[in-house]
Order: sequence, then structure tokens, then C-alpha cells
Amino acid sequence: MTRSVHPALIGLAVLVFIFLVGPLVIVVGAALSDTSFLTFPPQGLSLRWFENIFEIAAFRRTIVTSLQIAFLSTGIALVIGIPAAYAMNRYRIALPGWLSTLFVLPVLVPELVLGFSLLKSVAVQFTVPIYISLVIGHTLLVLPYVVRVISASLANFDFSVEEAAISLGSPPLKTFFTILLPNVRSGVIAAFILAFITSINDVSISIFMTGPGISTLPIQLLAHTEQFFDPTVASVSVLLMVLTVAVMAIVERTLGLTFLAK
Amino acid sequence: MKRFAGWTLASPAMFVVVLFLVLPVLATLWTTLTTPDGPLATYLAFFGSGFRRTVLWRTIQVSLATTAISLVIGFLTAYVISRAPGWLKSILIIAAVFPLLTGVVVRSFAWLIILGRNGILNNFLIGTGLTDEPFAMLYTQGAVITAMVYLFVPLMILTLAGVLESIPDELLQASASLGATPRATFLQVTLPLAVPGLIVGAVLVFTGSFTSYATPQLLGGESVMMMGTLMYQQAMVTFDWVSASTIAAVMVVITIAIVLVMTRLARRLNPMAV
Amino acid sequence: MTQRLTIENITAHYGTTKVLEDLSLDIAEGELVSLLGASGCGKTTTLRLVAGFLAPTSGAITLGGKDLTRLPAHKRDIGLVFQNYALFPHLSVADNVGFGLKQRGIARDTRAKRVGAMLERVGLSHLADRLPGALSGGQKQRVALARALVIEPPLLMFDEPLSNLDAKLRIDMRVEIRQLQRANGTTSVYVTHDQEEAFSISDRVAIMHQGRIMQLDTPEVLYQRPANAFVARFVGFENLIPMTVVARDGETATVEAEGGVRLSLSSGHFGAIPDRFILASRADGLAVSDETNDGIPATLGLRTYLGRAYQYQCETPAGHLLANGPLGRPLDPGATAKLVPVPEQCTILAPEA
Repeated sequence: MTRSVHPALIGLAVLVFIFLVGPLVIVVGAALSDTSFLTFPPQGLSLRWFENIFEIAAFRRTIVTSLQIAFLSTGIALVIGIPAAYAMNRYRIALPGWLSTLFVLPVLVPELVLGFSLLKSVAVQFTVPIYISLVIGHTLLVLPYVVRVISASLANFDFSVEEAAISLGSPPLKTFFTILLPNVRSGVIAAFILAFITSINDVSISIFMTGPGISTLPIQLLAHTEQFFDPTVASVSVLLMVLTVAVMAIVERTLGLTFLAK
Repeated sequence: MKRFAGWTLASPAMFVVVLFLVLPVLATLWTTLTTPDGPLATYLAFFGSGFRRTVLWRTIQVSLATTAISLVIGFLTAYVISRAPGWLKSILIIAAVFPLLTGVVVRSFAWLIILGRNGILNNFLIGTGLTDEPFAMLYTQGAVITAMVYLFVPLMILTLAGVLESIPDELLQASASLGATPRATFLQVTLPLAVPGLIVGAVLVFTGSFTSYATPQLLGGESVMMMGTLMYQQAMVTFDWVSASTIAAVMVVITIAIVLVMTRLARRLNPMAV
Repeated sequence: MTQRLTIENITAHYGTTKVLEDLSLDIAEGELVSLLGASGCGKTTTLRLVAGFLAPTSGAITLGGKDLTRLPAHKRDIGLVFQNYALFPHLSVADNVGFGLKQRGIARDTRAKRVGAMLERVGLSHLADRLPGALSGGQKQRVALARALVIEPPLLMFDEPLSNLDAKLRIDMRVEIRQLQRANGTTSVYVTHDQEEAFSISDRVAIMHQGRIMQLDTPEVLYQRPANAFVARFVGFENLIPMTVVARDGETATVEAEGGVRLSLSSGHFGAIPDRFILASRADGLAVSDETNDGIPATLGLRTYLGRAYQYQCETPAGHLLANGPLGRPLDPGATAKLVPVPEQCTILAPEA
């Protein structure tokens, strides 16, 4: 009874969800169109624009690059981020408060500024190869997600369990892997997924890190969209959406989706 | 011992952030203060240029409009979600999360198809006889704002749904038991308790809009240049890195100032945290 | 201002689960009735139905002759005290207390006066400007009480109001609640799972189980004369012995329990003895004796010292029983004795279905 909502509000919410989902439906429709220009509803169904993706070398290359960068940067961020999150929860009192601020800095600093600064200082001044600069940039981009999500799951962890294991004779490092990690497993999975998706979709950092033969998928998409207005971009978009759906299905099965809303 | 272990574990991440974020960004800011013409010359040039002032002003306008619209739409939608029964709630949250996980290029691209000269909207308007000539909707401020609202509404919905969820049911029941009409409960209990969330959401959307690149690039182009697109142009097209650094500095200062002031305000207004 | 609350034949569902079945309850003006039971017994559901947070499937709720059944919660004019206080965290103590008056359109200065007087009564005048977050549990509870009382509702309802307080404060607060309720003479419904709390504070107590009221009576009657096996167990009757009459001779009935145990009971002492019944008692309803032949044969187990008597764990053909024995004759584990029913401490109940 107290749950009742004014019908006008419900109507508005329906419109909002049409607004949210509609454009994505349109992209899917456009990708399936048989015409060589973008249109909706599709005129004749065909998968030829999906085939076209793999005929364009730039797409083939950037898909591979994007996946590599996403895996590498997420992996590095997990390797350095999990110990950092652990330290900040376990030794909270011993560490200064600005440390946690330091780890959210990558969110605070606009990505464009970070990308540009990395290009200027790392890639150009210290002639670090573009590919490595990209990995560095994406690692910084996803690190805050890793630290925040792992910290959140550690916040509920009772560290005395760890001490119990050590008192029973388990060496500290082994304890970390056998006791701690299994307990924050869902946090690690969530961090991985958030980080991976963030990396694979990034534009603002990657836009500065294109070099001979190196670019990421979103940058290639951007360039292709500006030059050709054909359904290839729509079909790549659909591929990315399928990837997202697959990831969400994994999240749903392992953690439940409301997890992401936290 | 504890201190040592803590620092050891935190140091790799610390090292990466300091070396690859703090120092490079400081270097960028430093270059704007060390030009041959004196420390403030580049800023005087920035604010002296009518075009740049226009870009800055336009960016602020677009971001404010995006924030305001997202706040209203996001809050009302989040309110409906928070009142929905469990099963529907999950579906609605998935519907809101999905666009959020889809890339910014894809989502901006969708609006190219909708708003283009031969786009869906124009076809619809001509098809229904509402107009004879297609409207030029792309490359307008309206197009950028529309796409940005589309980009940020899910973020706002999720932030606010979380905040509204955290308001205990008992408070609303207590309010009703004391004679407050649903409207009075909304205005006197729900809304004040959601203010900190509204501030957080507004900060996220404003800073996101203010520093965005892909959306103004695709839907605004040259005619609706914003801070992000201008900075990219200066850095990568005209290779004027001092100018690009200046724009970067303005973006950093405005973003961080807003985040600091507003989060402090949100914390002060958050009665739940006491 | 106080009114009679009548709940008539209420049935309620959560989804497809039936949570209340044909429940009726009549609470007189100024009376405090507790709903007592384990979680899931329907006590909180009953309260939510009366408050208007839940609609019944069938039945009617009336307060002072006015039908509340279809009235929205905010029009019911009921003072509610919540388990977790439900104070508005963004409003000061005074504004929390004044919230209901504000909804009733009462002018600011009248409101301030009434809030001030109410805070005085609960001893919180010095905290009027604080936010709830800065208060202790007991203070929060007083604010919640003041907030519910200041609107002078014809009905007050308490939902486990003391369960978040520590033991000492819980006892102080329940006295305070009772005094305030008495002083105002407000009809009240009090939901709790704490038997001692319910018995100490209430005029009458409804013991609930699986969406039904098992017995509604004064605490004294409930404690001494439970009406059925469920209530008997609930109020701490450890010995429930099913029995069947095998022979009658005038006032004396020969009854048989499980295991072939036979006893003679006199209806002069025990009241009417039906053909099948349960003999129910606490430990003090069975006396341990090694000097008589008429009783339940038992092998004694662990002996514990209770101050006024010894208590024995007993193994008998009729099952495991608890019995008390005199302090003068402690018996050791393994000894055999007879357990003799003490009429004043025993109750005869209908057999369970």
C-alpha cells in the first residue's frame, strides 16, 4: 500500500526505459540490414556486414589489440591492486589516509588529461613504445575499479580467520592464497569484469596512443564512423554488445546482477 | 612490522600511480606555467581568445544541461525502481546496467543513426507528413546534450536507486503512520534523504560531460566544439602542446574543484553518516 | 481520547502464503494487549494490517466504531513505535516529534509548545536540537515514543520496541512505556517475542502460532492455566503426559500413560477428568518420592539444586520427565523412585490432534 507510485511516474519510467533500450535495438537492426547505408528498420536481412568486419584488416588488427590490452592491463591491475586493497584494509591504522586518495586519483583526473600526459611524458619524452604506453594507460584506468571493488569485499572479511590459519601452522603467503583469495573470489571476478569492460570500451586515453599499426577497436570505430557511414560500425557494435551480454550472463550466474548496482 | 608489511604490499600500485599518473600530469600542468612569456601567459591567451571562451562556456552549458536533465529523469526513474516489486526491480536494473556496459562509441553511434539527415527521426517526421524537409539535427548542441543524457542517465539511475534503496522502509511507514500523505512523505522524507546521492550523481555526470570526447566528436563535430574535442585538436591536429596543456589544466582544476566542494557538501548533508 | 480496537475474522496472505487465518481480536478502551510468539507467528503481520501497511484478504478492522480496513495508512491516526525506532535521520529530535503535528496542519507555535511538553515528559528537553544519529539507543527509543504519543492517537502500537536495547535498559523502558500508556489511557497493541516482557507489561496477552491466536488471557491465567498443549509448552510446562482413563470408581479415575504406567487421580483434586487428556505441569507438578507406591516409576538422573528444592532429570516408561524432590532427602543418580502428580500444579488439557 505504501508502495504505490503515481501512474504518471510509471509512464515516465516506461519512456525512460524505451529511451535507454531503443537506440541499442536500432543499432542491432541497422547491423542486420542488407543495404549499404545505415537504415532502420532494416531493409532485407543479411549478415554481410558482420563478414565485412573481418575483411577489413584494421578491424581484425584492432580487435586483437583491444583484447590484448584489456587482458594485460586488467591482469596487471589485479596483481598490484589486490595487495594494495589488502594492505589498506588490513593495515588501515598503519597507513596514511592519503594513500586511498592516491588510488582514486585516476578517476579524479580526466581521462583525456591522463592520456595526453602519458603521450607527452612517457611515449614521447622517454620514447616508451606506444603499445606499452597503452597498457600503462589502461592499467591506470582500471586500477581504481580493482582497488575499490576488492576493498569493498575485504571490508566484510574477518581478518581473525587469517590469524587463525596462521596460528594453525599455515605460512602467511600460503594463507593469502588459501584463505583470503577464496573469500574475496566474487570481488575479484567483479573487479575483473568491470576492469575488462572499462578497458575494452575506452576512448579518451587510447585516442592519444595511436601509432603506426597500433590502435584500439573503439578508436578504429570512431575513425570508421567519421569516414564511412555504413553498417559495419553497427555490426561491430552488435559484436561488442554480444560480448557484454556474455559477460553479464557470467556475472549473473556467478554473483547475481544486482551486484553491479552497488 | 605492520607498517612495513602495509607499505610493501601497497607500494607497487603506489609506484605505478605516482610514476605514470601523478608525475606526467604534474609535468603537463608545469609546462603551462613555464612558457617563455611568463607563468600566466598561456592562461591569458586562453581566456583572451573569444573562441576558447565560447568553447569553455558551451562546455559548461552542455554539461549543466546534461546534469540537470539526467538528475530529473534519473531521480524519478530510480524512485519508480525503488518502489517496484523485486522481480521487476532486477529487470529494470539490468536494463539500466546494460547501456552502461556498452561502449561510449556504440552509444553515440546509435544517435547518429537516429538524428542523421536520413536518420530514423527525419524519416519518421517526413513519413508522417509533419515536415517536408529533413531537419539538420546532427552537429547541434541539442544532439550532443541528447546523446550525453543518454550516456549518463543509467549512471544516475544506478547511483540514485542505490541511495533510495538504502532509505529504510520503516522511515516511510513511520511517516505515513504520523499522517503524512504519500506526497508529503516524498517531499519531507525521501527527497531530503536523497540529497547527498543527488549531489554525488550530479558530480559524476557533470565531470563526465565536462571532460567527454567521443560524444561531442561524433555528434557535435567542428560546429559544437567542446573542451575535450578542442584539447584533442590542439594536441593531435595542430600539435600545439602548450595550448593543449592549458586546456588540460583548466579541465583538471574545474573537475577537482567541483569534486572536492561537492563531496564535502554531500558529506555534510548526509544525516545517515552521523 | 482512547478507543476500542476490533479485528474481525482477518485472513491475510503474503503472495500465495497464508500468514493469518481467520484472526479475531477485541481490545477494550485503554487496554494494553501483547501479541506474543516466535518469528513468523503472524504477530507483526497483524500489526502491519492494523497500521495499514498490508491489506487483509478478508475480514474487517474497526477502531472506535470506524472501519479502518480500506483506509490508507496515513489516514488511520495510529501511533506506531518501531523496533529500530525509524527516526528521521535528517530531522532534529524536536522536528521528529513535531512531524505528525506538522502533517495535521498545527500552527508552528502550538506545535513547539506541544513538542516541548512531550520532550519534557520523556526527559529529553536538553536534546531537542540534536540529530537522531547523536543519541543513544534508550534516547532514540524515548524520541520514538514521544513522536507516537504527541499526536494523541486513539491507538498505540509497539513493534518489538525494546529488542535493540540492553537488558537493564529494557526493563527500565518497559516500566516507562507502561506508565506513559496508563497515564494517557491509550488502547495499545504490543508486539514482542519476549515472554517476560509481554507478561510484565500487559493487561492481556495473545499467544500466537502459525497465524492464529492460541490463547488470549491475562498473564496470570496463561501462566497457571494454559488452555492447550502449545501454550503449555510455550509458558514452560516441561511435562506433558498423554493419558487415557481405563476405569472409574466414583471420584477416582484409574488412568494409563504410555509404557503401561497406571495412576489413580481424584476429580476432587484435579477437576473433571475426560476419557483422554494430557496431564501437564512444570517440574514442581511432579513430586519425587521413594516412600509411596502410587506414582510414575522413574529412574533418577542428574540432580540440580534450585534453592527451594532439588530438580531431577527422570527416565520413566512414559518418557523423559522433570520432577522436584524435597531438600531434606537428596537422591543420587541411578536411584529409583515414584513421581507423584501435585494437583495444584497440574493442568488437564485436551489431547493433541
